[in-house]
Amino acid sequence: MEKILEIRNLAVVRKQKVNSVPVLNDINFVIEKDELFCLVGESGCGKTTLALSIMKLLPKSFAVKSGEIYVNGKNVLAMDEKSIRNIRGKEMSIIFQDPGAYLDPLFTIGLHMKEALHEGIKTQREMMIYALNEVGLEPYVLHNYPHQLSGGQQQRVMIAMALINKPPLIIADEPTTALDILTTYQIINLLNTIREKYHPGMLFITHDLKLATRIGTRTGIMYNGYIVEIFIPGKTKPVHPYSSILMGAVHKHFTISKTMLSRQSDICPFFEKCPEKEIECQKQIPFVWNKDMTGIRCIKHGRNS
Amino acid sequence: MKIFFQRLKNHSKLAYFSFWFLIFFYIVSFLADLLAPYHFDHQFRNKPYHPPTKIHFVDENGHFHIRPFVYNMVVDDPVFRTYREDKSIRYPVKFFVDGPERKIFFIFKTTRYFFGVDEPAGIFLFGTDTYGRDIFSRLLYGGRISLSISIVGVLISFTLGMITGGIAGYFGGLLDQILMRFVEILMVFPSFYLMLSLRAMFPLNLSSIQVYFLIVLILSLIGWAGLARIIRGMVLSLKEEDYVLAAKSLGLSHWRILFFHIFPNTFSYTITALTISVPGYIIGEAALSLLGLGIQEPYPSWGNILSSTIGNLKVVGDAPWLLLAGAFIFAVLINFNLLGDALRNVLDPKNW
Amino acid sequence: MKKLILKRLLQLIPMLIGMSFVSFIIIQSSPGDYFAQMKMNPEISPETIEMMRTSFGLDRPLFVQYFFWLKNICKMDFGISFAYHIPVTTLIKFRLKNTLCLAIFSLFLSWVIAIPLAVLAGYKEGTLIDKIFSLFAYLSISLPSFFVALLFVYFISKTGVLPLGGTRSIFDIDANAFLIFKDYMRHLLVPGLVLCFVNIGWLFRLMKNNFIEVYNTPYILAAWARGLPASSVIFKHTLRNALNPMFTILGMEIGSILNGAALTEIICGWPGMGSLILEAVLSHDLYLVMGSLVISGFLLIIGNLIGDILIALFDPRIRLT
Repeated sequence: MEKILEIRNLAVVRKQKVNSVPVLNDINFVIEKDELFCLVGESGCGKTTLALSIMKLLPKSFAVKSGEIYVNGKNVLAMDEKSIRNIRGKEMSIIFQDPGAYLDPLFTIGLHMKEALHEGIKTQREMMIYALNEVGLEPYVLHNYPHQLSGGQQQRVMIAMALINKPPLIIADEPTTALDILTTYQIINLLNTIREKYHPGMLFITHDLKLATRIGTRTGIMYNGYIVEIFIPGKTKPVHPYSSILMGAVHKHFTISKTMLSRQSDICPFFEKCPEKEIECQKQIPFVWNKDMTGIRCIKHGRNS
Repeated sequence: MKIFFQRLKNHSKLAYFSFWFLIFFYIVSFLADLLAPYHFDHQFRNKPYHPPTKIHFVDENGHFHIRPFVYNMVVDDPVFRTYREDKSIRYPVKFFVDGPERKIFFIFKTTRYFFGVDEPAGIFLFGTDTYGRDIFSRLLYGGRISLSISIVGVLISFTLGMITGGIAGYFGGLLDQILMRFVEILMVFPSFYLMLSLRAMFPLNLSSIQVYFLIVLILSLIGWAGLARIIRGMVLSLKEEDYVLAAKSLGLSHWRILFFHIFPNTFSYTITALTISVPGYIIGEAALSLLGLGIQEPYPSWGNILSSTIGNLKVVGDAPWLLLAGAFIFAVLINFNLLGDALRNVLDPKNW
Repeated sequence: MKKLILKRLLQLIPMLIGMSFVSFIIIQSSPGDYFAQMKMNPEISPETIEMMRTSFGLDRPLFVQYFFWLKNICKMDFGISFAYHIPVTTLIKFRLKNTLCLAIFSLFLSWVIAIPLAVLAGYKEGTLIDKIFSLFAYLSISLPSFFVALLFVYFISKTGVLPLGGTRSIFDIDANAFLIFKDYMRHLLVPGLVLCFVNIGWLFRLMKNNFIEVYNTPYILAAWARGLPASSVIFKHTLRNALNPMFTILGMEIGSILNGAALTEIICGWPGMGSLILEAVLSHDLYLVMGSLVISGFLLIIGNLIGDILIALFDPRIRLT
């Protein structure tokens, strides 16, 4: 299968006055065509940073320390501004979390969508109305301003803009977190319909592991800037201590470590809070891959089942 | 308090310097009586528009003297009012000289001056004006007026504004509506026009004390409206806070709540606004005096000194040292602005 | 939209009434009778004074006086100036034109200079250009307007490049309209430039802060994410959003320009409303003072109204709720 997104050894840091704080470490994964890769993690673990890195939209205080990102075969991090602007919106697009904040309040939806299209004049209107139909919105929305639409409608507009050029890679950064549960289901169904039609590679970021196991073809768990486990929902169960906590498991001995360890790169990233930690976990733990592109970063559970 | 200073210094060394600069200015003005070489109304009729005196350490023959000295300046050309130095006699600068009797701090009489030179020479650090009065001394005395009027005016405005805004915001209802309509109407007039009109309500010739209080009053009346509105907004939101409810449930009276619980929370804004407003008051007083409607002769104020330059282009060209009063105003203003800016960042609770 | 304008216009009326009432109170509190000055003037006969008295209803109670005065105001009759012996309205009309020309000129100039520089400084925040511009803006904010005017007048008087004082030079009688206009503009330059300089500082700062704030919003990030070119993101989206709150500022600036213009006019010798009210106060010409006050307040109200209308026009969030 064609590789839509390939990330190799990505490390991203945040520059501060004195030193840099690592935000992403040792990120390696691949998304193929027609895959829905879910990335799960708590707030602050680096999910959005990863999404922005792929789009090359990191804020000025962030910097890529090492690694490569290939979108549709193109090395994104090595491209200059002009070339990457050609790709953004066309070969990769992103759906953000709180849609109201990501729409310019002074511009109509129609103007937004016109911008999303990189094309010329002729087929613009048809393409916009077609995209709106795909997401279930009426054409009159084109004349509305963002504040006149509900949250669900706004998110549909963002999805319409994301797929209007039929990009092979669609990134969705917590698209349903700001919406109520019914709208969440509608949006999820919408995304599934789009997948059936266009078979894009999708990176779906969320903090809800249960949702991820239901919709994803593969799911990755992130903690503190590291990917700690990748599993296939339905086929394999998540075994990493962090993943099981996310799934709702309660451990008998939940010890609180006495020392506050800073983000050191030479121990397991979950060491501090892991209920199953052992002395030998205090070394650099590599991510161990399995044949079916799953894997885990844990000594205890690393021996494949 | 100490924490505040530390934070201010950390945030901006410049603002820290501004604070002490202003303190220095205020102290110097307060001690104008003691520091000025001449009384503000001491006229040297034979030395009008005298340029700033040059202070020498090396005399004509190349001798170096530790004690600085000046030469007497005589009129070179009466038509063009130029002066030249008469290098025949040296007049060393002396300290604690004797001079005409004058009052210090409105009470004590003395004949001692901090520094000066013997007659007939004069030590005019910033030149003289049309009547031959030392500008440096007038600037020192003028500083007293300009700096004190602004502070007093600001304090009165702020008290008025806080009380009105507090009452309107806290009690609400009809009282709020009436007060706010009144405030809005006051804010409709451009301040300059309002200032002049209020001044016109009173006779043009008043005694100096009356003029002083009148100016303070007028400046306060113009300034309090804007503050009242903002305080009212703040009180409106603050009175919904939980600690107000707690205070009410303890049975505290409205006034106690207002003064002891709500007002202190507005201080971070108020102090910043206070510092930033003072320049406006200084300018207001200077503008009034500049136009002849403020402090009257012979009492000096920084605006007063500048007033002789209006309309008289020749004067400005001949005696540009008169504009130093403007430079002083500018210096004080810029320091207040710097301090105010830094305060805004330092006192903002978000930055704590 | 039309409803909005109508609502604002209706709110205008009590404001105008309140303002006129306060002006009336101010003038009434003046010491002495209206006509104390006039009585001392031998040129005016006692009969004229009596006539004016009744026409202004001074023998009637206060509120009635107020209504008479208000009625006259609505007829654009502000009374007779003591000093000039001509209707106040005539004087105001002439001076107002000059002040408005000055105000519009410096407003235009300061916006044309401050806004682009602020955008540049905002985009290149932290660089040398930003620091230089910000320093200049700081000077502009701190220097008092009369001091700038005095300095400028001093330099112009030394170099003699531009004319000072008045609106016209002594000329051939048959100068054509274009030459007259050019002469007017040359006279306008000195007070105009001073006023512009004083205004630029806070305008620059405000616009720069707006620009930076907008630039850091999520929807600008989304614009980048859509693959828009930099010119589009900056000029189409950021600038547009940053300019939005400036429209209300534009309306309110009318008030502050009037203020700044007054002192500048006086120092530069430009015959406008500021010089007028000063002369009126100095000569205790009460009707003139009152008229100037009311007109200046009226202009400020109109300015605020224009600001409100502009922002409703350009911001769909306000227009369509």
